[in-house]
Amino acid sequence: MDAIVGQPLDRVDGRLKVTGGARYAAEFPVPGVVHAVLVQSSVAAGEIVAIDTSAAEGMPGVLAVITPENAEKLQADKGGEQVVSRPTLQDMQVLYNGQHVAIVVADTLDRAQAAASALKLTYKQDEAVTTMDSALNTAYRPKHFRGGARSPDSNRGDADAAFDAAAVKVDATYRTPIEHHNPMEPHATIARWDGDRVTVWTATQGISGAQHTLATLFGIPPANVRVICPYVGGGFGCKGSTWPPATLTAMAARKVGRPVKLSLTRRQMFTSNGYRPRTVQKVKLAADAGGKLVAIRHDGMSQMSMPSLGEFAEPVGLATEMLYSCPNVAVTHRLVGVNAPLPTYMRAPGEASGVFALESAMDELAVALRIDPVELRLRNYADGDEHEDKPFSLKNLRECYRQGAEAFGWSQRNPAPRSMRDGRVLIGWGMATSTYPANRRPAEALVRLQADGSVVAGSGTQDLGTGTYTVMTQVIADELGVSPRRVRFVLGDSTLPPAPGSGGSTTVASVSPAVQAACAAARQKLFSLILADPQAAGLTSADLRLANGVVLAPARRFPLSQVLARAGLEYIEGRGKTEGPPGGHSLHSFGAQFAEVRVDPDLGEIRVSRYVGAFDAGRILNAKTGRSQLIGGITYGIGMALLEETATDAETGRYVNADLAEYLVPVHPDVPLIRTIFVAGEDPVLDPLGARGIGELPMVGVAPAIANAVYHATGVRVRDLPIRIEDVLG
Amino acid sequence: MKPGLTRRGLIGRSVATAGGLAAVPLVTPAEAAIPAAPAPVRTPEMVDIVLQVNGRRLPLTIEPRVSLLDALREQAGLTGTKKGCDRGSCGACTVHVDGRRVNSCLTLAIRCQGRAVTTIEGLAEGDELHPVQAAFIRHDAFQCGYCTPGQIMAATALLDEGHAGSDAEIREYMAGNICRCGAYNHIVDAIRDVASQAAGKG
Amino acid sequence: MYDFTYQKPSSIADAVKLLAEPEAKALAGGQTFIPVLKQRLNKPSTLVDLAGLGLAGIKAEGDKITIGAMTTHGAIAASPEIKKAIPGLSMMAGWIGDTQVRHCGTMGGSLANNDPSACYPAAVLALNATIVTDKRRIGADEYFQGMFTTALATDELITSIEFALPVEKSAYEKFRNPASRYAMVGVFVAKSAAGVRVAVTGASQNGVFRHTEMEQALSGNWSPDAIAHIKTPPGGLNSDIHGSAEYRAHLITVMAKRAVAAAS
Repeated sequence: MDAIVGQPLDRVDGRLKVTGGARYAAEFPVPGVVHAVLVQSSVAAGEIVAIDTSAAEGMPGVLAVITPENAEKLQADKGGEQVVSRPTLQDMQVLYNGQHVAIVVADTLDRAQAAASALKLTYKQDEAVTTMDSALNTAYRPKHFRGGARSPDSNRGDADAAFDAAAVKVDATYRTPIEHHNPMEPHATIARWDGDRVTVWTATQGISGAQHTLATLFGIPPANVRVICPYVGGGFGCKGSTWPPATLTAMAARKVGRPVKLSLTRRQMFTSNGYRPRTVQKVKLAADAGGKLVAIRHDGMSQMSMPSLGEFAEPVGLATEMLYSCPNVAVTHRLVGVNAPLPTYMRAPGEASGVFALESAMDELAVALRIDPVELRLRNYADGDEHEDKPFSLKNLRECYRQGAEAFGWSQRNPAPRSMRDGRVLIGWGMATSTYPANRRPAEALVRLQADGSVVAGSGTQDLGTGTYTVMTQVIADELGVSPRRVRFVLGDSTLPPAPGSGGSTTVASVSPAVQAACAAARQKLFSLILADPQAAGLTSADLRLANGVVLAPARRFPLSQVLARAGLEYIEGRGKTEGPPGGHSLHSFGAQFAEVRVDPDLGEIRVSRYVGAFDAGRILNAKTGRSQLIGGITYGIGMALLEETATDAETGRYVNADLAEYLVPVHPDVPLIRTIFVAGEDPVLDPLGARGIGELPMVGVAPAIANAVYHATGVRVRDLPIRIEDVLG
Repeated sequence: MKPGLTRRGLIGRSVATAGGLAAVPLVTPAEAAIPAAPAPVRTPEMVDIVLQVNGRRLPLTIEPRVSLLDALREQAGLTGTKKGCDRGSCGACTVHVDGRRVNSCLTLAIRCQGRAVTTIEGLAEGDELHPVQAAFIRHDAFQCGYCTPGQIMAATALLDEGHAGSDAEIREYMAGNICRCGAYNHIVDAIRDVASQAAGKG
Repeated sequence: MYDFTYQKPSSIADAVKLLAEPEAKALAGGQTFIPVLKQRLNKPSTLVDLAGLGLAGIKAEGDKITIGAMTTHGAIAASPEIKKAIPGLSMMAGWIGDTQVRHCGTMGGSLANNDPSACYPAAVLALNATIVTDKRRIGADEYFQGMFTTALATDELITSIEFALPVEKSAYEKFRNPASRYAMVGVFVAKSAAGVRVAVTGASQNGVFRHTEMEQALSGNWSPDAIAHIKTPPGGLNSDIHGSAEYRAHLITVMAKRAVAAAS
C-alpha cells in the first residue's frame, strides 16, 4: 500500500466545516446557559473609586453584576504556569484603557449588553504613558526573557569594533506597529460548575494550559477542570494563553449557579488577549568590499504593558544571531512599559518583526555594495549555527533561493530602482530570507484498534485549522495499515492524554511521534496476542503485518475481529509519548520569499501582483493542507507589510481602530495568486517522520520582501510598517 | 460475550497508565445531543414571530432589537452562521434572504417575517453537498473553518449573480468576506472550479 | 442596543405620524443605522420600518429617472435603464460597500443620513437631482447642509429621488477605504442640462461639496488636462489613519481626472 502520509488528503473535518456542523466554543448547547458581557475601563491609568450597579441590577433578566467589590478572591492572582497574571477583578487599580472592570450576566445576550452599558464607574485618573515612542528612554532589560531560558543580550566577537573598521555599512532604525491577531472567531468560553468541578468549552490553543491555569486560580485539582475545544476559529497566538475572560466566565458561572457563556466582541478582542507589540529596532550591518558580512548589531526594543501584568518581550534578534555567517554579532532586547494591555505571541513572534529589520537592512547593504540581493545572501550563507555552535539538523536554504528565484524569474530583474514599468505603473521585485525555529515538546497519545478494523485515537492537542485532525489520521493510517476513512482522531479535550499548546509550530513534531509510538504499542500488543495463539506456532513478530483489519503472515491470516473475540476484548489500546527536543543540533526551518509589487505613481497605491515562496520545512505530511498553511502565512505577511496597524489615541490610550472596518486585514482583492514550493528534504533529527511545523515560517520575510520590492519600484526605502501610500508618493 | 466485564478485566491487566479510561472522550462532545435552554423572562417589548429558515417554520419570541444572527445562533441553535465582528465588516454571518446574500448581523430578525432565510445548514440536499461545499473541501478553501459558512453562502450567491467571470471578478465580489487564515487563493480556486463545471454543463 | 418598539406602517401617512413621536427613528436598509444602534450611539423609542411603504423601484420616463427611496444599491447597479442613461450612477452603486451591503442599503437611507464619506451625495449633487419627500421637492444644492445634516425635518420622509435626463456625460471615481470601501475621496463629474458639475465626497469635514474651479475649467474644455493643474487646499479636508488632508487634496485631482477620462 502506498503511504498515506505525504498525500494531499482532503481535510477529514472538511465536511463538518462546510456544513456548519463543526462546533466552536460558543456553540455548545449547554442547557440553561445564560450570557455574560465584559465591562472595560475608559481610562488608561488610575483607580476605580466608585461603582454604581443599581441601574444595571434592576434591568430585566439581569442575574449578576460582578465587580472588584464582590468578585470571588482567586487563589493566586497569577495564571498558573502561564504568563498572564491580571486583571481578574481582584483590585481597583486600572493599568490600561479597556481593562476588564466588571462582568455582567443576564438571561439573554441583548439584555446582558444593555446592563453592561448601564454600569456606572467613577475613576480617579492618573497620568498615563500611552505610547512607546514617548518613553524610549525608560527601556529596561527583560527579567524573564524566553521564560528565563536565556539572556536577552548576546555577543559573538566584537561587533562594534568590526563595524567601525568596515568598508561598507548600513545603520538604520526600523519600526513595526502594534498588530492584532484578529482570528475570525472572537474568543468565547462557556463554563459550567458541578460542585467543585468545572467544565469549560473555550477557544484555546492549549487545553492543558487552560486546565492548569483555571485549577490554580480556583484552588481545585487539575482533574476537576475539564477543558473542551474540538475546533478553534483561528488563534495566531492570541488564544495561546488563558486570558482573564475565560477565568471571569468561570467565576460568573459559579456566582449565578448556572452555565455562563461569554463571547468577546470584536472591539474587546483588541484589549483582552494580547497583540504583537510595537518594536523599534536599530540594525547595523557592515561588510567588506566583497560583500562578506563582518559585523551585525541588532538592538531591539519592544513595547510592554505595565510590568505587574506579566512580561512579554518580542524576541526580534534571535534570527539575527544565526541567519548569516558573521564573526562579530551583538544582539540586545529591551522593553518599554506603557499603559497598555499585556502583549503576547503573534504568528511568528520575534521573527516576523525582527527579520523585517534584518532583511530590509540586508537589502540596503546589497544596494550599497551593488550586489544582487540573492547573491549577497549566498556569500554569507551559514552552513552551521554560529550562535549555538551546532550543525543544523537540515538546511536546504540554498535550494530555496535557487528554486524560488527560478520560479519567479529573478534573473530578469533590472537592479536599478524605478527601472521596471508597465505603462505608468512602477514595478518592483524584492526578496528576503525566512527562518523559524523547529520545535518539539513532550506529548502523549492513545490509539485503539477496534474489532471491526477501525481505529479510534486521541491526544489532548488542538487543530487551529492547521490540519492536526487530518495529518494524525494519515499517520495512523500508515502505521496501522488502515484506510483514513476508518480512522477517527479525537483532540481538544483535557481528559485525553496531554499534549502541548499549539503555538510555535510545534504540533506536528510533538504529537505525531506520540501517535506513532501509540500505534506501535497497540500493534505490538496485537502481535503478542497472535503469537500466543497455537495457530501462530513458528511465527515471530517480524513475520506479521497488519493491513485492513487483518494480520497477515506467511500462509496464514488473522482477522482482528477473531483475535479480539478470542481474547474477549473490544479493542486493543496503545499509548505513546514524545520527549522534549533533541539536543546536539540547531533546529530551524528556512525559506526564500520573492514579491512583485505594482505601484500606481499617481495614487501611491501598492498592490502585490505576484508572489513566490520556496520553503525548506522538512517532509510535508499533507501537501494540500501544507500549501494552505503557506498561502495563509504569506497572506498574513501581506497584511503586515501593507495594511495592519493598531493606532492608539495618545491622550486616552484607547485603540482608535479596534474593529475590522478600520483595522485593515487582507481581503480577497488584496491577494494575488501565490506560488509555493516545498523544497524536498526530511529532517532526520526532529521527529521520525522528518516533518516540521509550518505555521509561522511562511509569514517570516514577507514584509521585507515587499518593502524591498517597494524600494525597487519607487526608490523609496520604507523602514516603518505598514508601508503607507503616502510613504511612496514623491 | 459480555464485553463490559471482560473489558474491565483487560484494562486492569494490560494498561498500566489507564487512570480514568472510561472518561476518555473518544466520542467527541460535539456529537452529544444536549437540549435547549429555558425561555428568558418575558417583557412587554417582546414579540412572537415566525421565520422561514431552510424551508422550515421557526417560531420565536424575541425583543425587536435581536439580530437575525443572534436569533439563529442563540435561539434556533443554528450555529453554522458565524459572528465575526457583529458590524457588517467581515461577512462571517452571510445568509441568503429571499435568495440574496445579506449580513445577518445587520438584519433585524423581526424584519425577516414572511421572507425565506437560507443558512449554511440548509445548503446541502440531505447527504449530498452543494457543489460549492464539495469544491471547498476539494480545494482546501479554509483552515480554521470559522469564516467558511459565510464564504460559501457568499460564493453560492456570487455564482447565481453571474460574477465568476474571472479571478479578478471573483475576488472583487467576494471582498466582503474576510478569511484570516488566508485561504483566499483556494477559495477562488473552488469558486472558479464550480463556475467552469456549470459552464461545461450549460 | 437600547430596547425599542418596532412598527412597520403600510402607508406614508402612518409612517410620518409615527415618526412625529419623540425619539422615533426611521429604519431603511439599516446598514449604517444598525451598527449605530449596536454602539448605543442612538436611543430610539420606536423604530419605524419603511419597508412596507412600497418605496422601492426604478421608473424611467422620457425626461427623468425616478428612484424610490427604498431602492437598494444592488437594484440601482443592476438597472439597465440607469446604466444606459446615467452610467456614472450605475458605476457608483456597484461600488458601494460589498455585495451583502448592496443588497440591503438604500439610496434614501444613505441620503437621509448624509455621511460625509457616502457616495450618493456626490451623484445627487453633480446631477442636480431632486429629493422628493412626503411634503415637498428639494433641490440638491439646498438639500446637503454639511456632515450628517440635511434640509429634512425630523418627521419628513424621502420618497424618491429624481434625476433629470438627458445626462450627456457622467462618471464616478473613488479611492476606497480598503476595508469598508467608503470613499476616502470620490469625485462625480457630470455634464447635463444643469451644466458641468463636479461633486466631491469623502474628502471634506463638511461632507459633499461642488468643486467650482474644476467645473469652470471643464465647462470650457472637457478633458483631464483642463483640471490637471488644479490644486485643492487641504484646509478643512479629513485626515485620519488612512490618509492625511494633503493626500486627500492630491486624490481629488487624480480622481477627478480619471472620472473625466472615463466620461469622455
